[in-house]
Amino acid sequence: MFPPWLAGGLVYASALSLTAGGITLLYITTRTFNFAHAGMATFGFYITYIFYSFRGGNLYQYFPLSFLFGSLLGIICYIGLNKPLLRRQASTITLMMSTLGYDLILLSIIQMLCDYLSYTFKLYPRRVTMSAYDFEMFRTSAASIISPIIAITILTLLHLFLTRTKFGTSMRATIENPILASASGINSDKVYLMSWVIGGGMAALGGAVMSLTMTGTPVMGMTLIAQMFAGAILGGLESIYGGILGGFIVGLAEYVGIYYLAVMVGPWILGYRMALPLLIMAITLLLFPRGLAGIQWSYLMESIKRARKGVKS
Amino acid sequence: MRNIGDVLKQNLMKREVIISLVILLVLTYLAISYGLSIILSTLIIFSIFSIVTLSLNLEVGHTGISQFGRVISVIAGAFVVGAIPGRILAFLYGLPFGLEYADDAVNYKVVPFIHKILEKNIALALGFFLFCLVLAGLSGALIGWLTSRPAIRLREAYLGISLLAFGDFFMWVGHNWEPLVGGTTAVFIPDPFRIVWGYRIQAVAFTFLAIAVLVYLFIERITKSPFGRTLKMLRDSPLVSRVYGKNIVKIRTQSLVIGSAIAAIGGALYVIYTGTCTAIGFTRLTWTFWPWAYMMLGGIGSNIGMVLGVLVLTVLRTLIILYRKSVFGFLLLWGIDPIWLEYTLLGLVIIFIVLFMPYGLVPEKAETVLPSGRIKAILESVRKQSSRTPEN
Amino acid sequence: MLNIKNLYSGYIKLKILFDINLEVPTTEITVVVGPNGAGKTTLLNSIMGIATVFAGEIILDGIRLKNAPPYKVAQLGISYVPQMGNVFADLTLRENLMMAGYMLSKEELKNKTDQVLDMFPVLKGFIQRKAGTLSGGERRMLAIAMGLMRKPKVMLLDELSTDLAPLITKRVMESIARLRDELGITILLVEQMAKRALEIGDKAYLLVSGEIKYSGKASDLLHHPELSKLYLGIKEAE
Repeated sequence: MFPPWLAGGLVYASALSLTAGGITLLYITTRTFNFAHAGMATFGFYITYIFYSFRGGNLYQYFPLSFLFGSLLGIICYIGLNKPLLRRQASTITLMMSTLGYDLILLSIIQMLCDYLSYTFKLYPRRVTMSAYDFEMFRTSAASIISPIIAITILTLLHLFLTRTKFGTSMRATIENPILASASGINSDKVYLMSWVIGGGMAALGGAVMSLTMTGTPVMGMTLIAQMFAGAILGGLESIYGGILGGFIVGLAEYVGIYYLAVMVGPWILGYRMALPLLIMAITLLLFPRGLAGIQWSYLMESIKRARKGVKS
Repeated sequence: MRNIGDVLKQNLMKREVIISLVILLVLTYLAISYGLSIILSTLIIFSIFSIVTLSLNLEVGHTGISQFGRVISVIAGAFVVGAIPGRILAFLYGLPFGLEYADDAVNYKVVPFIHKILEKNIALALGFFLFCLVLAGLSGALIGWLTSRPAIRLREAYLGISLLAFGDFFMWVGHNWEPLVGGTTAVFIPDPFRIVWGYRIQAVAFTFLAIAVLVYLFIERITKSPFGRTLKMLRDSPLVSRVYGKNIVKIRTQSLVIGSAIAAIGGALYVIYTGTCTAIGFTRLTWTFWPWAYMMLGGIGSNIGMVLGVLVLTVLRTLIILYRKSVFGFLLLWGIDPIWLEYTLLGLVIIFIVLFMPYGLVPEKAETVLPSGRIKAILESVRKQSSRTPEN
Repeated sequence: MLNIKNLYSGYIKLKILFDINLEVPTTEITVVVGPNGAGKTTLLNSIMGIATVFAGEIILDGIRLKNAPPYKVAQLGISYVPQMGNVFADLTLRENLMMAGYMLSKEELKNKTDQVLDMFPVLKGFIQRKAGTLSGGERRMLAIAMGLMRKPKVMLLDELSTDLAPLITKRVMESIARLRDELGITILLVEQMAKRALEIGDKAYLLVSGEIKYSGKASDLLHHPELSKLYLGIKEAE
């Protein structure tokens, strides 16, 4: 159904959309640029890999476990690191540095875990091609269909959570006006904790999805963190939906873009694929600092509605 | 007039001194157990990273720029030294110098040839070394100027992330573009220290330490000068600076150019020491994050703190490497290589500092323009004056 | 009900209030007036835990509040209606009221919402619209409605009359007086448009440059020849 370059692109873009969305959520609630997203994503992949290696079956069934583990990592980060710093009204840089420290610890644990797995269980966790364990669906890889579905499902669930539940609405209120929210009796602690639960979970889930198209390595998250941030920046760092969309666009642009460039000028350009998300990030920061969120969506919807009415009559 | 005893007592109790003495003891112990070469190689790494961290402190601590792309300047110095000086010598001596210089088959033969020339000619070796440093400084300055363009418009974490991404990008360029520095196979750097055959490591250690001291003195001069005070004012109150007519853009650019040039020199020293230039080795971990950790431990804004931070952590890392089998050998029972503990250490250090010691070992003190003795005298006279009420 | 003793407060390192002593008696309207920048909003922020208290005591009904986070203060029964940022612009009116009544049970929420909408029928028509689309006066009404949702024992009202036409101001002040009379709410009212506020107030304090310059009956301050002219712009003829 999909040509291989599009199939891989959809998986890559879906993974980035999940991680960029998580980064955006964490930033708009706690002002923290979560560097540990790299480690959490990598952990998400390894959780799926470990369960699959020992229990086999359908690897997608372990994705929820990856999400939960990511949430757990997020909770630890909040309670141990983020909360005390927020209480001190630490700067954005300090908050980012703290997550960097946490990420390095996560990375060291992952590396040691890989050592242990290869020594004790004779596995090869340092170069894993999860796509080999995928199956086919409608004449394309299952991943290319399931990944976008996962991304859209998460997007929908988030939307429902944020708009239809009292707690979700209180999250939106806290994001918009934390002082008024607190003065209304909303415990900001719980809001921040929840954003780390969701953000961490999305990071891990993103990592699990990513492994379906990229080789799984201990530094997978570290290599991709710049792209994740680029997606969040394109999204505008104002709404989660922007982050999810931004991540998707950056992912698709990079994956498909570099493929077409390689076809045109030769495979040597593949090594420079980092340039594409970098370019998008640079353009966004310099020309459209508010990113996708700067586009007046309601105005756009109104114009579209009006145009369609015009066409009808 | 205070006597020497009092001065000594007061200074000895300072944290910095205590820590330095502890480090000295550790180093002496290492020298006795493992021999001098360990100390010398530690000193070399210490010198190189002091230079890089001092440059970072200038931009972050004194000017308030989120420099998460320190690796860019280091790469600028390293790659330029990898690509150009060797080629120039090759050209002068009729050896291949074009794009093929970086090709490993060619490079492998050309460089030893150059070495034979450098061995005999001390003037040439010295000139070559200085040329490398100057070239690195210039290319660092250029990169500093280029990175100042986004630094003007972006703030804090946004700037940090952008610079971080660019750092990654340059590393990948070096890794993929073969003619530059050999891509995946390294390029060899002609070694100007060949002349002291047999005592190379001592010569390198001595030279690099001297250069580090020079850099330290230079940065001290800059930061204690009016320029340095302007930087601090810019960092703390940009609005006030503008009111006073200070050109923020120009001053930030100057700071970035100087910092970048110095970091590039650090990069050049590193490749000269190791004798090779491997692009993939210039990771953000080693050349941005570790210097940030050194800086945070030392105390952002304090130059002596930088040196202390680098010293403490470099020695700690050396200890981990030396003792990884004995102390952490139990991990090998599960097949785990203790070397990963370096990352754990870095992570824990950063978290510890951020949570418990945000100002580092040597917190920044308010700078006084007059010596403290004179200030005390002025305070005294003012106090005497004000205690005289109108009735007296 | 609310007692403030020797309060020194501000924001992080900036000192705004110096040695404030203030009493807000139960079921009375206490008015704090003063020129711009006097620190009136900081006073309310200090009670709510938004500003930093450096020294002194804030006691509500025997409970000491010192740098308690705002949501804890709200849970103790103090309802804050700020001057700026007083509604959630991105949320609908209904969601705003739901947030204001966060601590209420589902039934209480429904009852209180109906009650409050009866008090301000104008808002009924906008219940599904985003609060950001409301006019200034409508937003003010919503903010007061939200303040009432929180089942307050004490209400802190910050400059409700700003940017309102005089006739509307009169009506707003009348409804605040009714809150005291009919619902028994204790009110701490901060105002720049002093005259109307002092007319309905019981006690009054004059705050200038972070210090209390006068305290006494509201009517006394209103008719004080010098102070009312100097600080409050009240002309003698009135």
